[in-house]
Amino acid sequence: MMLQSHSRFLLQTLLTRAQNLDKAVELDYQWIEFDDVRYHVQVTMKNPQILLLSVSLPNPPPEAMSFDGLPLGAIEAIKTAYGTGFQILDPPRDGFSLTLKLNFSKLRPDEAYRNSLLTKLASIREVVMGAPLKIILRHLASRTVAPELDKLVAIMHRPNETFFLVPQADKVTVAFPMRFKDSVDTILATSFLKQFVEARRAAALSSAPSCTWSPTAPQELEGAPKETLSANAGFVTFVIMPRHVDGEKLDRTVWNLSTFHAYVSYHVKCSEGFMHTRMRRRVESMIQALDQAKPLEKTRSMNNKSFKRLGLNDVNSK
Amino acid sequence: MANPLRLYLACIKNTLEAAMCLQNFPCQEVERHNKPEVELKTSPELLLNPVLICRNEAEKCLIESSINSLRISLKVKQADELENILTKKFLRFLSMRAEAFQVLRRKPVQGYDISFLITNYHCEEMQKQKLIDFIIQFMEDIEKEISELKISVNTRGRLVATEFLKQFM
Repeated sequence: MMLQSHSRFLLQTLLTRAQNLDKAVELDYQWIEFDDVRYHVQVTMKNPQILLLSVSLPNPPPEAMSFDGLPLGAIEAIKTAYGTGFQILDPPRDGFSLTLKLNFSKLRPDEAYRNSLLTKLASIREVVMGAPLKIILRHLASRTVAPELDKLVAIMHRPNETFFLVPQADKVTVAFPMRFKDSVDTILATSFLKQFVEARRAAALSSAPSCTWSPTAPQELEGAPKETLSANAGFVTFVIMPRHVDGEKLDRTVWNLSTFHAYVSYHVKCSEGFMHTRMRRRVESMIQALDQAKPLEKTRSMNNKSFKRLGLNDVNSK
Repeated sequence: MANPLRLYLACIKNTLEAAMCLQNFPCQEVERHNKPEVELKTSPELLLNPVLICRNEAEKCLIESSINSLRISLKVKQADELENILTKKFLRFLSMRAEAFQVLRRKPVQGYDISFLITNYHCEEMQKQKLIDFIIQFMEDIEKEISELKISVNTRGRLVATEFLKQFM
């Protein structure tokens, strides 16, 4: 049900390549993922050991934390996550924000290590887009003072849209203005988001981040520019505590918060698809009911079997 | 609230039984044409008084009758925003498949959510009692379907929220 942090197509491409290194092939794939993130993978016949991976993110709006077209801290995050096996190409390929060069021959032959590294590589989106968020949450986990303490921070999660953070000494408040293009989507999303508040009240989830929904901007967002605060499906606010970002949970929290809007809109679309299937089934049953209103002679004539169909049993019993 | 619904449906059923006495009537205005008079409303002597049955301010049923055709228009209850869009979506879905239903009208009458048009030809092809039963069944089905859709949306929302929040624990 949750969105996975690695891109499945990218992972499959990398694994296939790693398993067939002796075959020299020409690969040139370009594809696009949700929220306008583009990927490009290239392998040439001349150097089959080398794989070039390029990622392009949508242009950040003016209020978001960014440096050189990439989210703040992205380059350092890549270097930390992937170690020395990778080279960052500068400048990146035409039309892309970041290009990595991977040399398969330099990887350790240990298959488990290789698979986990390639899975991490396929999660490059999580590393790059989640970099500024990760920096702030890491300060929270280690209870150190972040440079942006008590100030409003904006991070891009969708083309031209940002969500807001207020880092404080013992917690981080995260506020999402939720915007949807379609009016049906908006109404469904509003009822989904209200359920978040309801679900949090359940006893089993008392250690989850506290969650509120409001139709207008909460007071934490008071300093933000007006255009960034238009939200037709209201504002969702989470309060993240240090226990939510301890150790292993940090990466998962970063990914879940970065893709919150995508997660909600994915499930809204699934709901609409499900409703369509239900409606079609209901229509069929209604038409069957109507057929029963027709006089029996007319409908029966097609079902009347004036001869008995021979089955295998009849043949064998002879 | 089954009881008020039963009474409402029983009232509609009785009215339909009385109103559904349709016979073939070639058009008076144009030669060789045969049109449903209730749609045209050109000759007052061919039309019967329309009957409006209200369950409450939000739900009502208008039954207009004429010599060769009968039009039934329904307005369905829509309590909140979500029910509003669910009803609109579902009824538009049905109206687009009006051809399959034969007695359904492609566009609802102004001020209502869905309309049926029953002509004398339908009465000749189908049994009158069964046709009336179908219409009543249809009204019950719509109400059931809308409430089931609403419940499924809320349940899914709850699941989505629970899964998301569990990730933080």
